[in-house]
Amino acid sequence: MSALGRLTIYLALMSSISFGGIPPVLPDIHNFVVGANGWLTDRDFADFFALAQTIPGPNMILMMALIGWKVAGIPGAIASAGATAVPPCTMYFVGFRLWDRFRDAAWQRIARASLAPLTFGLIVAGGTVMAETADNTWRAAAISVGAAALLLATRINPLWMLGAAAALGALGLV
Amino acid sequence: MQLPSEAPQSLVRASLGELFCEFLKVSLLGFGGGIVLAHRAAVERQRWLTESDFADALTLCQFMPGPNVVGIAVCVGAKTRGFVGALVAFAGFALIPGAIGFALALIFLEQTQAPIVRNVLAGIAPAAAGLMIGTGLRLLKPHRHERRGIVFAALAFAGLAIAKLPLLLVLGTLAPLSVAATVVSRAKP
Repeated sequence: MSALGRLTIYLALMSSISFGGIPPVLPDIHNFVVGANGWLTDRDFADFFALAQTIPGPNMILMMALIGWKVAGIPGAIASAGATAVPPCTMYFVGFRLWDRFRDAAWQRIARASLAPLTFGLIVAGGTVMAETADNTWRAAAISVGAAALLLATRINPLWMLGAAAALGALGLV
Repeated sequence: MQLPSEAPQSLVRASLGELFCEFLKVSLLGFGGGIVLAHRAAVERQRWLTESDFADALTLCQFMPGPNVVGIAVCVGAKTRGFVGALVAFAGFALIPGAIGFALALIFLEQTQAPIVRNVLAGIAPAAAGLMIGTGLRLLKPHRHERRGIVFAALAFAGLAIAKLPLLLVLGTLAPLSVAATVVSRAKP
């Protein structure tokens, strides 16, 4: 099968199991596109992640579109974006309809209490794996820690933090 | 996210044009805070949903697969205008901003060999990773007194980030265990 065919099927599968959002499956996607297939370098992957986080909009769909673009040009970008968005959106729609119908059921409270913390742990793990890829110097690691701490402790818009990190980078300080 | 206590509200049925435009705005302006902006638009300003409808959509999207913020758009659209509403809200949120973002990214990537762009990206990548860690921790904060939840969050983190296990294995093992632990602890008097 063509590289694009394999990537599309793989992303459709990943988006279908990406509980807690796309970030928790980033480590798996990294293994597939960088490690197993060599379509991207580590640097490509980190660049796409940084760009997708910087540009407003649906950033994980954008990141997958960039991976698809790297593998197969514009058709690759469209196929990858579709594979990332369509299966989960179908599930959101069906899921929300069912959820609404059974809104007072006891199983909803149990599902909420047991699955929510699990997904939050996965998000932290996704960020940690990305930090391992991005943090090649102690200064970069300090930026990761600082951004996480500021987000937790203050109400500063994250856009300012990304702007400050970009400025530090532009000055050659990272 | 903190939700104010429920106030009696009369809900408004969205027009499809408003639905499209509101989620276009949420997407383009809602950097890092898409959920906050979506709440403001759908609950406070337009009154398409009640607080509890929105909280339900948020919870549902948190533990369904996929890009969560997109899920909020789909759920809000579905609640106020059914299937067509879901489609329109998704289109507003994803299509135009996605195309703009993709074009911007390609322009930027053309220049990745330029030292300045290289340096800027080297600065942004660690910050973006740190923000993701911070978001996960912030979501965990309300659960910090629930020992069971914290243990399962830590196990999920360790499985993925330290042991480097595949996500399917981590979820397939921990999700049933977590549900079982919750059921058992609630069965106790």
